[in-house]
Amino acid sequence: MQCYPATKAGRRYVYRLAPTMAIYLVFLFIAQWSFHHLHPTGLIVYVLAVLPALPLIGSLAIVGLYISEESDEFERSILVQSMLWGFGGTLAVSTIWGFLEDFAKAPHLSTFYVYVFFWIFMGIAQPFIRMRYQ
Amino acid sequence: MKNRLRILRAERNWSQADLAERLEVSRQSVNAIETGKFDPSLPLAFKLARLFNSPIETIFTDEE
Repeated sequence: MQCYPATKAGRRYVYRLAPTMAIYLVFLFIAQWSFHHLHPTGLIVYVLAVLPALPLIGSLAIVGLYISEESDEFERSILVQSMLWGFGGTLAVSTIWGFLEDFAKAPHLSTFYVYVFFWIFMGIAQPFIRMRYQ
Repeated sequence: MKNRLRILRAERNWSQADLAERLEVSRQSVNAIETGKFDPSLPLAFKLARLFNSPIETIFTDEE
């Protein structure tokens, strides 16, 4: 299995995504440190709370950019199919967990995990989708 | 969709990577098209036709 992106757009996707995720870690640290040490109030609470979400939203835009820039239709198709599995898996897990919380007193899961589930399902699906074309 | 890409490639002594480079796609794309598991778009089919200097219908066939 090939790990390094085969196309220019794929490489641009990785070069954009890596620093975006690094920014996420920095913003997450800033938010956590600020809430722990500075005990902010008022509007700043909302600003700090949303701060780590911004690079994550950016990462979704980077996926969108990749789809629009990728001239290799096969590679584009693989990613789009993986995303569909990501959406489907995320919706399935969120729905199941929602009912478990409502009826079976399962612990509350932050809606932030929707983002994590999406990437996990997308990442798991991609090699299986590729295998279908070999 | 069945195709004659493997034969056309062999006639020119091109590897899948060689063809991929000429088409500006990944080698996996060439393999998926060649094995008939991925149908190329019309623009890519035309690109292949131009590259092999053959009409599209002599490269691809819609017979099962």
